[in-house]
Amino acid sequence: MLSVTNVGKRVTTSAGELEILKAVSFSLQAGTSLAITGASGSGKSTLLGILAGLDVPSSGDVQLAGQSLTQLDEEGRAALRAGHVGFVFQSFQLLPGLTALENVMLPLELHGVDDARAKAETFLQRVGLQQRLQHYPQQLSGGEQQRVAIARAFASEPDILFADEPTGNLDSTTGAHIIDLLFALNREQGTTLVLVTHEQRLADLCQQHLVMEGGEVVHFNGQQTAGALST
Amino acid sequence: MKRLTLSWRLLWRNWRAGEMKILAVALLLAVTVVAGISIFTDRLQSAITRESHSFLAADRVINSSQPIAPEWRSLADQYRLQYAYTTQFASMVFAGDAMQLAAVKAVTDGYPLRGKLRISTQPFTTDTQQISVATGIPAAGEAWVDARLLPLLGISLGATVEVGEQPLRITRVIVEEPDGGNSFSPMGPRLLMNAADLQATGVIQPGSRISYNWLLAADDPQQLQGFLQQITPELSVHERIRDVASSQRRLANALGTARKFLSLSAMISVLLAGVAIAIAARRFASRHVEQVALLKSLGAGAGQIRGLYGAQLLWLGVITSLLGLVLGYGLQAMIVRLVGDLLPVTLLDPGWLALVPPALTGLVCLLCFAAPPLWHLPTVPPMKILRRELPVSAVRQYWQVLIGLLALLLLVAVFSRDWVLTLSLSTGLVVLVALGLLLAQLLLSWVQRYGNKSGNRWRLALASLQRNRQQTLIQTVVFALAVSLLLSLTGLRTSLLQDWQLQLPPETPNHFLLNVAPHQLNSVQQLMSDSQLTTEQFFPMVRGRLTHINGTEPGEEQRERTETLRRELNLSWTDHLNSDNKVIAGQWWDSWPAAGRVGVSVEQEAARQIGLQVGDQLRFSIGGLTLDATVASIRSLKWDSMNPNFYFLFSPQALDEFAPAYMTSFYIPPQQKAFINTLLRFDPTLVVIEMDRMLAQIQAIVNQVSRGVELMLLAVLAAGFLVMWAAVTSSFGERQQEAALLRALGSSRKQLLGSLWLEFSLLGLMSGIMAVAASEVLLLAMQRWVLEIPVRWHPGLWLWGVSASVLLIGAMGVFACRRTITTPPAVILRELT
Repeated sequence: MLSVTNVGKRVTTSAGELEILKAVSFSLQAGTSLAITGASGSGKSTLLGILAGLDVPSSGDVQLAGQSLTQLDEEGRAALRAGHVGFVFQSFQLLPGLTALENVMLPLELHGVDDARAKAETFLQRVGLQQRLQHYPQQLSGGEQQRVAIARAFASEPDILFADEPTGNLDSTTGAHIIDLLFALNREQGTTLVLVTHEQRLADLCQQHLVMEGGEVVHFNGQQTAGALST
Repeated sequence: MKRLTLSWRLLWRNWRAGEMKILAVALLLAVTVVAGISIFTDRLQSAITRESHSFLAADRVINSSQPIAPEWRSLADQYRLQYAYTTQFASMVFAGDAMQLAAVKAVTDGYPLRGKLRISTQPFTTDTQQISVATGIPAAGEAWVDARLLPLLGISLGATVEVGEQPLRITRVIVEEPDGGNSFSPMGPRLLMNAADLQATGVIQPGSRISYNWLLAADDPQQLQGFLQQITPELSVHERIRDVASSQRRLANALGTARKFLSLSAMISVLLAGVAIAIAARRFASRHVEQVALLKSLGAGAGQIRGLYGAQLLWLGVITSLLGLVLGYGLQAMIVRLVGDLLPVTLLDPGWLALVPPALTGLVCLLCFAAPPLWHLPTVPPMKILRRELPVSAVRQYWQVLIGLLALLLLVAVFSRDWVLTLSLSTGLVVLVALGLLLAQLLLSWVQRYGNKSGNRWRLALASLQRNRQQTLIQTVVFALAVSLLLSLTGLRTSLLQDWQLQLPPETPNHFLLNVAPHQLNSVQQLMSDSQLTTEQFFPMVRGRLTHINGTEPGEEQRERTETLRRELNLSWTDHLNSDNKVIAGQWWDSWPAAGRVGVSVEQEAARQIGLQVGDQLRFSIGGLTLDATVASIRSLKWDSMNPNFYFLFSPQALDEFAPAYMTSFYIPPQQKAFINTLLRFDPTLVVIEMDRMLAQIQAIVNQVSRGVELMLLAVLAAGFLVMWAAVTSSFGERQQEAALLRALGSSRKQLLGSLWLEFSLLGLMSGIMAVAASEVLLLAMQRWVLEIPVRWHPGLWLWGVSASVLLIGAMGVFACRRTITTPPAVILRELT
């Protein structure tokens, strides 16, 4: 499902060139889950962005759903995301002007799904928000907002779901509920799951675990790494 | 189709979320105002034009010294024109042994096509009960005459007179002719007859001086325009087209100025609305950066996003344009209802063409003001969804300004159809913006230097101005722009109204008196002073022709082209110039070096047409005698001053040996109108030309247009407020966050309120000073070059303009940001996170 080969990322700053990812390589099979952990500034989010096709690597290659992301232009990557990728973000990223239902409908409408409304209602029901369809994000609690975001991510039935600190803005109890929900839906739909987290408990629930430090993968599934790894 | 539906849904959701309200309101306002003004001025203009055409008795007149080709009639029929013919000439009218030179006008059915011919069976009556509007023309064998012809011939109504060989029975007296009394020609009293009798009079012989007129009118101005376009190349040197502008310079000037002012108001409203649209679109774009990043992460491509936003704008444009057209129609209907009874004219139905400018306005505004800030949205990197700090490339500010400027030029050009206005306004605004930015920078530096020494609230306010330096600069310039345009328009309106009133001060002479013999001068003056009437200077006047220029007789073609060479001229002399005359070349008599010789001062337009220069030798033929004179000076003069004015003014006493008659102008109040009868009873050979009806008409039109101008000002004010509101609310998000933080850190509401007042009042002060300076310059330029009215300074503007700006912007800012003070900081901070 996902294959990463020698991915590096350099950015130019006022202080000169900065290497934020160094020769990251690994691969992930369909239906499995991977946790990426590491300290702030270790390059987790940059790696997630590249894996999901939101950004391009300075070197190396990423194969997602059988296609090389580096060979695609922005439009091509958007099309790939539309067909295969779902997201859950730390700050939920719900549009404040839209109701819960409309937020879930949005990607379906973008992809031209005919029964967007019915599908969105089904997924909101599955995350337990059937009573909150017409509520706006500011009328919902943090946990509820994240559930809407999860419903939105799964409603498009993606092959792979990327989650960036999905519990980062939530208290531990709510976070636990969200984790349960995320994994339950993941299992039901057979989605490949890649998540970035600080939480050990969340990382432990994933089949794979990748630890980053200074832009490098330092541990993969508990083993210190010195090169390419695969599962 | 799915995309259109989706964009419609997104538009609706954005609208509901309050994202598009200012944008939509600004667009709606622009279209409504333009539609209102466009439809109203279209109706008013066509009505006023039609009304003013009554002075011609037609919409257009083809005038010729030769009979007008009858075959053109079929072309006029094709264009569904109405037409009538008048044939005018001077002829002796006989009644027994008595005879009198009369101005004969033979007319065909349909005359007058515009305006009304008023007649009576009671000579010299002023009783409206006895005056009726003619429904036809004199029957064959009959004539209608000026009342004064009766005593001149010693006859009464019903008597028969002879014009040439044709006897005509006088059945009515003429009280008022639409195309009558605006000529200095003292050809004598009018005799109106049926054109069917013309042949029988036998007076039209080869070489007779006849003025043939073909009166044309059309219900649809396009038809008339089409006909004129087709016929113009066919016209010979004898024929010329006369319209209201050429025959009523004064009225045409007033109307032209009013038209320019109305278009200027519309344009400024649109310009202000455009700025509001640009600000609102900028805010909309900045608030949608994250939304676009999200859409991209959800798989939307740049093309799809551009399509979605483009379609939203299109929907918005179409809806606001349609709604704006409806509201604009309502607005003009309301204006008409408000002032309808006072209108001197009956409004015509609006033409469809009037809907084109407002319909285009919405789209042009969207394309040029709203699209540039939104253009960069699809380039937002999707990675921004994970890393907020990533920069977003925006369409360069100068591109946005350039596109806005182009839109401005386009709109100004479309509305004004005047390149001088377009360029002057655009240049003025560019200079204003550039100077504004510079001045605001300087003021901010000054604030930075001295602000720290001030009290707590001042520090907060000044710090806020400093912190959002770019925002402050933009807001100051936008406020200054809005305030200066408002001030300019207000000032311009005042100048315009004052100018119109100056043009027609109370007791402007409204009658001309001609043909006063030298021995009658004292008696006439006595008659006037007995009735408490005062006159202007009495000018000696003789009729003569210009026969030679520098010893050469002008050729036939030059005569045909130059009216001054063709007709008899009124010649006069004076030793001092009225204030409405100005020597622009050569010398007036007091410093003329050739004193002792006969000199002549020539009006500049006549000099230009004939090609005269100072020093040229002219020969005049006056009553069979000749008079040689040297061109001593060229004069400019105001024909619309209602004072006696002459193309040719001779040196003192030069005309005394030619038995001049005297003329003057004077004011008769309406209640003393019967004084004309006193004059004519004193001597029926006196000629009184009544200008009061035309003056009253001009005054009524000017009043009406002034009312229109004031209503337009309200619309412009609304647009101005909208711009300011957009600018104030554009920084609302940042302000909210700052205020919440400050309150969380212990600032009191009073402190924050005070600093908000100070901050916006300071903005108002900076903008006010810039705006007043700019509007003074704009006003002077527009008065001088665009409206061509006398230049006036506006000292009062500095006081009330700046004060109003401080109060208005201060109050608006506090009102807009009141939520930052009244809402608990925790609520705001939670919303913002």
